[in-house]
Amino acid sequence: MNQNNDISPEEFELIESYLLNTMTDSEKETFESKLSTDETLREKVEDYRALLKAIESQSLKEKLDAFHDESIEQTDVVALDDNFSSSTSWYKTYGIAASLIVFIGLASLWYFNQPSASEKLYNDYFSPDPGLPTLMSNSNENFEFYDAMVTYKQGDYDSAITKWNTLLEAKPQNDTLNYFIGVAKMANKEVEEAIKHLEVVTESDTNSFKNEAHYYLGLAYLQIDNIELAKKNLNFSSIDNSKALLSELND
Amino acid sequence: MRNSRFKSNQKTTRALTIEAIKANDEGVLKLLYTSNYPKVEVFVLQNNGTKDHAKDIYQEAFLAVWRNIKEDKFIPKDDSSIHGYLYTIAKHKWLDFLRSKKYKKTVYESELVGFKEPKMHVHPSTQDHEFEKKLKRAMTAFEGLGEPCKSLLKAFYFDKKSMKDIADELNIDPASAKNKKYRCMQRLRELAQNLNLK
Repeated sequence: MNQNNDISPEEFELIESYLLNTMTDSEKETFESKLSTDETLREKVEDYRALLKAIESQSLKEKLDAFHDESIEQTDVVALDDNFSSSTSWYKTYGIAASLIVFIGLASLWYFNQPSASEKLYNDYFSPDPGLPTLMSNSNENFEFYDAMVTYKQGDYDSAITKWNTLLEAKPQNDTLNYFIGVAKMANKEVEEAIKHLEVVTESDTNSFKNEAHYYLGLAYLQIDNIELAKKNLNFSSIDNSKALLSELND
Repeated sequence: MRNSRFKSNQKTTRALTIEAIKANDEGVLKLLYTSNYPKVEVFVLQNNGTKDHAKDIYQEAFLAVWRNIKEDKFIPKDDSSIHGYLYTIAKHKWLDFLRSKKYKKTVYESELVGFKEPKMHVHPSTQDHEFEKKLKRAMTAFEGLGEPCKSLLKAFYFDKKSMKDIADELNIDPASAKNKKYRCMQRLRELAQNLNLK
């Protein structure tokens, strides 16, 4: 395929200056218009592009091994070697600079991550419960519940909370109601309120929503930076996200 | 004077560092290499790897970062974003390796938080795939290229020395040095093409 091995010194020089970007604008224009029609030239340019890159990459690769052997495998060899006394100060200068950079890097990482670490985790993990399927039944009681569920699914958490709250007055310990009100409040960023409702669920005798409620409680406590209670609740939940989040908190 | 680039104001520091990386400045590359390796080694060792794994994966990541900076695919805001980027890429590469070895279940993808991740250009698109293969073969060819061609090409294309300096070092006139470079490139291209055929 690549039987275009014949390339004159002049052509080589042209391709090279194109690739090294040392052409003038008008030279470049002429060259590019030739490129657009001449497929053989295009192939040659691509060949040389790869070659130039390869020379640089391979040269660096070989250097990296040297860096590694000199500085990482035998950290103290350089300082001990008298033959390199002139370069010792060079290494020291860079050593100090290097540790400064590492320090600054770590410090800024710490600084930027510190206030937002739990928040970041929270944002990564929190998404409102998808809700229950709203199969409209004929039962009146259920109608009100599912009507609220529809608004919840539409993201209108305020209306959903109001509607569910009316139902909750009659059944303050109902785990389904407390669970969804809790999650809706979390979605609405009313975390303290959410915790009250979710704790009714985790303390109730029925099990339907306990697993999820512990997960959302874990997230809620994470949000208010109570890592202790966050971990405790996540421990009670066996869903995958709880385990993943827990392992991140334990890191 | 040498470390003035680390003391001057942020903007100059950044420009100098990036320019230095693009120019393959040995001091800066070495600094970048040595200051970030330990963290990567810790990460690999904590995640079922050995020191040799750490070295391989780190060098691969280092080359990718260097190339992306050279090609403006990654434009670092400051020094620490280069460090973060290098570490993140190394981490990704190691996790990719673990996934390929079916270590998947012990490693959560979500463990990769902690950095605002820069755009990743680690995985070449399928379109780049052919070029990547070509590049790999060309690297192998250059690795095995004989002297004095290898040193000459390295001095010009990697160390960015002028043809005049190279000619002086070889004790020949610039015109013959230029001619030599041309012939060495021809030789390298043939070697790479022969690898293509195998």
